[in-house]
Amino acid sequence: MTSLLAYDFVWGPVLDRWDLFLLGAWLDVWVTAISFLLACAIGIGVALLRISGARVLRGFAFGYVQFLRGVPLLVFLYWVYFGIALVIGINFSPIQAGIVALTLTGSAYTAEIFRGGLQALDAGQAEASRSLGLGRIDTYRHVLLPQMFRIVVPPLGNTLIGLLKGATLLSIIAVHDMVQVANDLNINFFTPFEAFTAVALILIVLVAALSAGLSFLERVLRLP
Amino acid sequence: MTLAYVFRWELVPESAGLLLHGLGVTLQLSALSFVLSLGLGLVVALCRIAPFRPLRALAYAYTQIFRALSLYVYVLFLYFGIAAVFGIDLGRFAAGVVALTLLNSAYMAEVYRAALGSVDHGQREAALALGLTHTRSFTSVILPQGIRVAVPGLVNQLVDIVKDSSIVAVIGVFDLMGATIQLVNTERAPFEFYTVTALTYVVLILLVSAAAALLERRLGRHLTGGSAGPGPLERMRRFRLRGEVPA
Repeated sequence: MTSLLAYDFVWGPVLDRWDLFLLGAWLDVWVTAISFLLACAIGIGVALLRISGARVLRGFAFGYVQFLRGVPLLVFLYWVYFGIALVIGINFSPIQAGIVALTLTGSAYTAEIFRGGLQALDAGQAEASRSLGLGRIDTYRHVLLPQMFRIVVPPLGNTLIGLLKGATLLSIIAVHDMVQVANDLNINFFTPFEAFTAVALILIVLVAALSAGLSFLERVLRLP
Repeated sequence: MTLAYVFRWELVPESAGLLLHGLGVTLQLSALSFVLSLGLGLVVALCRIAPFRPLRALAYAYTQIFRALSLYVYVLFLYFGIAAVFGIDLGRFAAGVVALTLLNSAYMAEVYRAALGSVDHGQREAALALGLTHTRSFTSVILPQGIRVAVPGLVNQLVDIVKDSSIVAVIGVFDLMGATIQLVNTERAPFEFYTVTALTYVVLILLVSAAAALLERRLGRHLTGGSAGPGPLERMRRFRLRGEVPA
């Protein structure tokens, strides 16, 4: 049968290398996970600076967020990997550079989310806790932060998904993730459609799984 | 600590012509994709609330799939994959515009949908009671109010478009990022050029965000709910905070 299309679909090379695609996807997943955890840790710190009493600290945190949210991830990746590494004389491995870029970009978003979450809490919560004799740190630890986490789960989930999508960019600096697997395949067998369809499908499945997990978490955390 | 690195900032003004040309391409790319996805996004949003089930399902799949893909994967898929299958050579700039438009229209469709959903039920009931047909009450009463609520969210989407547009440099579009990559290759001064480009993007993004905030304030004056409960903008914001539309 002659096809209407001038293109012969050859799925063999993709299907034969399903294990490579999965390994590549796994790399994207763990790089995303590490970056997300680090971004959350930095984000909480920056959020606390953003609402602190000292003007200088607030200004610094504001500048940090505005700057990092304005730099496209691709630009940041190149900047870290080629530029900053050269100036300070550190040789980042591609994966390290990727984690640095994803973490810092992500931390600007998580900082805004945590700030929003803290400010959404009723002021009476902090006042009540202080008047019951809890110190500042205990007030945060036992009263404010636990309540905040319930609020920030949905937007944090979006950031997590955003970071996963961002991680696919890492192949540009030669990280061997699933996009790189597809690139190699495309070069060796010239099957661009099949190779990139595989990557797109994996990404869609991963994002769908994450979304499902997050809505489950939201349901669990919802107040009765 | 002394740095072994010798800065060569003088290279940047010498290359200003190329960088400005790239900036122009970035602006064209973003503006074109923004306008096209404004239209396409509305069409998808209308399909999502259409009284015809297959159309709704199709629009739902469209928004879910395109919001799950990263622009990078999609650009590769479009520029290499689709182009090979159908034997069409889109050209780099056009491929970039198509990818940015398809991807962002999915996000915009969600903004439109949230905005249309925020219009009070009473508006529709009043329009029907006044004798307007279903179609007419939608086009003359619901839609104008909904679009007004959607404006700040839509302009915010331009922030993502400008940032995402840098990715089309990977298929060789000579935008700001593309120009920078080429300059780094010829001049061998990565730190200087990437710093300037990063700062340029930050300024661009701040300008767009400021415009969106201004619009939101001006529209907000007429759209606050008062004592009757949250106004449409507030309801829209809550919808976004729930995380259905990435902020």
